Amino acid sequence: MSSAVDTLIAREPSALKPIVRLIFVRLLWSVPTLVFITFLTFLIGELAPGDAATALAGEKASPEAVARLRHSLGLDQPLLVRYGRFVVNACHLDFGQSWFPPYRPVGEIVSEGMGFSQMGLLALAAVFCCAAVWVFVRFLNALKDFRAVFWFGALAVVVVFAWQIAQIAISMPQGRTGPLAIYAILLASAMGVFFGFIAGIWHGKWPDRFATTFSTLGVCIPTFVLAPVLVLIFALKLQVLPDTWVENPKEGVFWYLVLPVLILAMRPAAVITRLTRASMMDVLSQDFIRTASAKGVPFWKVMTKHAFRNSLVTVVTAIGTSFGFLLTGSFILETFFRIPGLGLKSIDAIYQGDFPVIQATVLLFAVLFILVNLLVDLILPLLDPRIRGSAA
Amino acid sequence: MKRDWLFTIGIGFLIALVVMAIIGPMRYDVTKEVGAKFLPPSGAHWLGTDHLGRDVFARLCFGARMSLAIGVSVQVFTIAFGLLIGTAAGYGPKWSGNLLMRFTDAMFAFPDILLAILIMGILRSTHLTWMDSLPKVVSASLPVFGALAVVGWPSMARLIRNQVLSLKEQDFILASRALGAPHSHVVFKHILPHLWGVVLAVAMVGMALVILAEGSLSFLGIGIPPPWPSWGSMINDARSYMASYPWLLVWPCLALSLCVLALNFVGDGLRDRFDPRHAARTDP
Repeated sequence: MSSAVDTLIAREPSALKPIVRLIFVRLLWSVPTLVFITFLTFLIGELAPGDAATALAGEKASPEAVARLRHSLGLDQPLLVRYGRFVVNACHLDFGQSWFPPYRPVGEIVSEGMGFSQMGLLALAAVFCCAAVWVFVRFLNALKDFRAVFWFGALAVVVVFAWQIAQIAISMPQGRTGPLAIYAILLASAMGVFFGFIAGIWHGKWPDRFATTFSTLGVCIPTFVLAPVLVLIFALKLQVLPDTWVENPKEGVFWYLVLPVLILAMRPAAVITRLTRASMMDVLSQDFIRTASAKGVPFWKVMTKHAFRNSLVTVVTAIGTSFGFLLTGSFILETFFRIPGLGLKSIDAIYQGDFPVIQATVLLFAVLFILVNLLVDLILPLLDPRIRGSAA
Repeated sequence: MKRDWLFTIGIGFLIALVVMAIIGPMRYDVTKEVGAKFLPPSGAHWLGTDHLGRDVFARLCFGARMSLAIGVSVQVFTIAFGLLIGTAAGYGPKWSGNLLMRFTDAMFAFPDILLAILIMGILRSTHLTWMDSLPKVVSASLPVFGALAVVGWPSMARLIRNQVLSLKEQDFILASRALGAPHSHVVFKHILPHLWGVVLAVAMVGMALVILAEGSLSFLGIGIPPPWPSWGSMINDARSYMASYPWLLVWPCLALSLCVLALNFVGDGLRDRFDPRHAARTDP
C-alpha cells in the first residue's frame, strides 16, 4: 500500500517521464506495423503483372534482354532478399527511382507531392503565431509598466517574422497534399468547433438542428458528389469561382483554393461538429456545471471556461484523426481537380504500374498517420491532467 | 422518439430503392443505345438519355442494383468473418485479442481507398476458369467485392471483439459458467444473441461506407467496368457534359447521397432500438 503511494509521489514531480515512455513505446510498436504494411504492399506488387525489368526495357525489348536486365537489377533473387534490400534502402531514405520516364528519384516525387517544404514553413508560421499571442498577453499584462515597450518591440518582431514566413509559404505552389490538408483542417476545425459548440449550448433548439443536419449531410455526401455539384453551381452557373485548377496562377491563388479546400474540409467539419456536440452535451450534464451556474458564474463563462475547456479532449482527438485522414486520403479530390499532390501522383502511379512510387507513398502515408496519432496522444495530457498518469 | 420518423423514411426509401433496382432496368438494355443522345425527359425515357443514347432511368436503377448487391454481399462477408475472428479474439486467450488489435491498428494506418485500388489492380488481371460460368456482370463486379471485403472486415472484427470483451465480464456469463455450461454454450447461447443488435446497426452504416467506396472506385474508373453502369461511373461520365446537361450529373449524385443518408438513418434508428442507453444520451 505505502509503496504504491511512494511510487506515485516519486512519479508526480516529473511530468516528462511518462511522455518520453509514451513516445518510446509507440514508436517501438510502429515498427511491426510499418513492416506489415510495407510487406503487404510488396506482396501486392509481386502479384501484379509486370516488374521493373519489363517496364524499364520497354515494350519492344526481346525476352532475353528483359531477362538480362532482370538479372542485373537483382530481380531474380528470392522475395525476402529483395524485401530486405528495400527495407535497408528505405532506412537510408532511398526509395529507388521511378520506372517510367523521366525516371526521377522516388523520394523527390513523393516529397514534392506532399509539399513538405510548404508544410514546414506553415508549421513555422503557426509557431510564430502562437508566440505572437503569448507575447501579446505579456504585453497587455505589462501595460502599466515601462517594460511594455520591450514587449511591444518583441511583438512587432514576432509578427513581422510570422508574416514573412507565411508570405513565403503562400508564394510557393499550393497544389500539394500537405498545404491543402492544413488549410482544410483549419477551416474544418473552425466550422466544426463553432457548430458543435452552439449545438451543445442550445441543445434541441434550431442551432442544434442546423448543426445536426450539417454533420449528417457532411458525413453522407462523398467528395465525388460534392465536387462536381459545387463546381456546377459556383463555377459553371454562378461563374464566381474558377472551375479548374491552375498550377501557378498569376494572381488570385486564393480563389483557386476556395473550392478544393471547402470540399476537403466538409467531411472533417461534419465529424468534428458531431463529436464536439456530443462532448459538450456530455460535459454540460455533469454536476460541476450546475454548481458553477448555481453559484452565479455568468452563462458565457460557464460555457467557455467550464464546459468547452472540458470537452477539448474529444475535440482535439477528432481534429487530429481528421487531419490524419486528410493527409492520407485526398485521392478523389486531387484526381477531380487534377491537383498535382501525392494523391493524384499515387493514383497515376497505380494506373501506370510505377511500383516504387506506390511503395513509398504507402510507407509515407502510414508514417504520417502514426505520427499524427502520436502527436494527438502527446497533446491530450496537456489538456487533461487525468490522462497524464495513464499515458503509456 | 424524434428519430422514429427518420427511421421510417429511411426504411421506406430503401424499400423503394430495392423495388426500383429489381424492376427498373427491365424496360431497356442498360448497356446499349436505345434512342438519340441527350434526349430530355419524356414518357418513353423518364429521365432522358445520356451521351451514348442510353436510358438514364434504367441505368440509375441498374446502379442501385449494383450498389445494393455489393453493399449487402460485402456486409454479409464482413459480418460472417468479423464474427468468427472477433469472437475468437474476444473470447479466446489474451494473445489472440492482442494480435487482432495490432493487425487492425496496422490496417487503419493503410489508407482504405489506396488498399482497395491496389487489390483491384491484382484481381482485375487474374482470371479464374470458374468465373466463366457466372453471368458476365457478376464476374465483372467480383473484383470490387473482393477488394472492399478485404478492406472492410478488420474494423468489424475489432468492434465485435470489444463487444465480446465487455459482455464476457458480465454477471450472467459468470453465472452460466458457474452452473457448468461449456464455452460453446456460452458463446452460442449468450454472447452471439447479444451481439446481433449492435452488429446489425453497424452493418447498416458499414453498408453506406461500402457503397461510398464502390462509388469512389467507379468514379476513378476502376470499379464496375463499362458498359455496366454504377452511380460512381455515371457521375464520372456526366462530368464532361455537366455545363450543358447538368441533369445527367444531378440524378446519380442524388440517388447515391439519398441512399447513403437512408442507410445512416436506419443504422441510427436500429442502434437507438438496441442500445437504449445510447439513445438516452443523444436524443434531445
